[in-house]
Amino acid sequence: MTIKILIADDHAVLRSGLRLLLNAQPDITVVGEADDGSEALVLAGKLTPDLIVLDLSMAGLGGLEALPLLRKVSPSSRVLVLTMHDDESYLRQALREGAHGYVLKKAADSELLSAIRAVMRGEIYVHPSLTRVLLEDILPPTMDETTNPWDALSDREREVLLQVARGFTSAQIADQMNLSPKTVETYRSRGMEKLGLRSRAALVQFILAHNLFSDHP
Amino acid sequence: MTTREETNSNRLWAVAGGVNIRTKILGIVLALVLLLGAAVTLQVRATVSKTMNIQLEEQSVSASRDLAARATDMILINDMYSLHQLLLDTEANNSNVRYAFIVTPNNQVLAHTFGDGFPQNLLVANTVETMEHHRTVILETDEGKIWDTAVPIFDGQAGIARVGISDQQLHQTVENITTQLLITTLLVSAIGITTAALLTWVLTRPILQLVRATQAVGRGDFSHRVNRWANDEIGDLADSFNKMTVQLAHAADEHAEREQLRVRYVNGVIAAQEDERKRIARELHDSTSQTLTSLLIGLRALGDACPQPEIHTRADELRNIAARTLDDVHMLALQLRPSVLDDLGLPEALERHIADCRRHYPINLDLAVNGLESRLPPNIETALYRITQEALTNIFRHAEAETASVIVEKREDKVITIIEDDGKGFNPNQASHNNNHLGLYGIRERIELLSGTLVIESSEGHGTSLFIEIPLSPA
Repeated sequence: MTIKILIADDHAVLRSGLRLLLNAQPDITVVGEADDGSEALVLAGKLTPDLIVLDLSMAGLGGLEALPLLRKVSPSSRVLVLTMHDDESYLRQALREGAHGYVLKKAADSELLSAIRAVMRGEIYVHPSLTRVLLEDILPPTMDETTNPWDALSDREREVLLQVARGFTSAQIADQMNLSPKTVETYRSRGMEKLGLRSRAALVQFILAHNLFSDHP
Repeated sequence: MTTREETNSNRLWAVAGGVNIRTKILGIVLALVLLLGAAVTLQVRATVSKTMNIQLEEQSVSASRDLAARATDMILINDMYSLHQLLLDTEANNSNVRYAFIVTPNNQVLAHTFGDGFPQNLLVANTVETMEHHRTVILETDEGKIWDTAVPIFDGQAGIARVGISDQQLHQTVENITTQLLITTLLVSAIGITTAALLTWVLTRPILQLVRATQAVGRGDFSHRVNRWANDEIGDLADSFNKMTVQLAHAADEHAEREQLRVRYVNGVIAAQEDERKRIARELHDSTSQTLTSLLIGLRALGDACPQPEIHTRADELRNIAARTLDDVHMLALQLRPSVLDDLGLPEALERHIADCRRHYPINLDLAVNGLESRLPPNIETALYRITQEALTNIFRHAEAETASVIVEKREDKVITIIEDDGKGFNPNQASHNNNHLGLYGIRERIELLSGTLVIESSEGHGTSLFIEIPLSPA
């Protein structure tokens, strides 16, 4: 049984290269080529390919926008994203929209074929350098919910840290609390140490994660 | 010596300078009037007293001589009634006469004007030799000074006539004059104070107006004008002040216009630079990269199709070169302008940039983004991305920090960005003169173009925090 493939990419030379490479495989035939997202939609509805190789950035309707529509038009087709973008954000977005695989163009020569076969076996294929994203979403947050270190802080430390997270300068906090900027710094570094945080951004994340802004209006 | 004089003059200035002009002029006028009044009063008192004293003495002499002359016959015929009448007349004719009496040659009081007994000690208080014309002594009594003149009657053979002139009336007069002078002085003082108040009002009114106008100009209100109240130096000052205000307003307008032009120009330059970068990055991404990818795939197909091993190896080598070039081109496009920024937004672009930095620099980097579910205006996204890039580059190059963090948070009507490190810090007041902080200048420039604010908190050894606030115009 051969795998019917639709190629959607706005670069004609690339498309012909891909066709050449894929058609050379005995179990693969390229049944169609689309120049942009909308053409891919039309062809996908007509040809119902087993797999769509989809470029993300195309002139006109882009790959990310076309992805959910493709899934609707041809639910049986699997979608393998083939893109230049090595940003985790694109990967996350593509997977959310229903992509089955994510291959970088710089690895097209070595990985594309195995990716196609993996996806056709029902697996999800993601370029190895990007798999960390998937783990991040799965792994539970490393916070120990039973003993919240926030409770170990003094009132003053809590107050200072909240204002630090709200984005006030040390001078402003010192002014609000009638303290010297040096004392504010002391409360801040002591509180951060107790929470095991190393930076203001980490503090903001901590406070947002524990919803502490709303507890202390 | 000089220092003491200086401190004295300083003290004087501290007092004189501590009060306003009104008080100064009032003080001067009041002091002058009072001084003048006091001097006149004293002088008049002295002169009047002296003149009256001489007159009193003369009166005393003439009254006693007159008495002596008229009393001679009465004494000789022993007409005591007429003699007594004469004494009473003498006393009545001159209000200054306190008493008059006649003494016999053997020192008996013949007649006197004292109603209630003659004071015996008066008898010895004055006497005169028979050949003398007269003798006057001044008696100090409990009623004041008395000019007592003794004149021999009929060459002393008929006795001595004595008359006492009191200075009580003189005192009364002097007191009256003094009182009148003092009242006059007070009246003049009152008039002087009123006049001085009027004068200071005339003088200070234009000055106070000038002060108010100066304050207005200080606040940047160049529309304020002052009236020319008088044709004097202050009037000239008002005129030149008005002229200066007009020129200042003109200069401020010109400055604002030039600043506006500059802002437009810089805005244009930045926008053009971003557009150009975007265009080149797109081109590299869409065309060059795709072509290289085609090359990769073509070489793979060629290698697969060719049975000869040496060509296969050769194709693999070429494939490696193409792959490396593709990587380079990709990096170049990313550095020019990451497509994430346009396609997905600021948080994703920052995440990407920070992930790249983590790979290249041995430093802890944290990023917190809050409230950015919807996209910001593209110019603000670009600016904040470039600012963060620049600030982080500064940190990597100069701060020697262990940890740096970036916070971007959207509030109702603004977006705040905090970029902070725990490095060696610097003195923000001296930063502008330092080439190391040229990046800071660019950051400030970008923030000002968006009407935002930048607060830098830093000190040597305690890290640096940049607090950036960009207002969001209501959509």
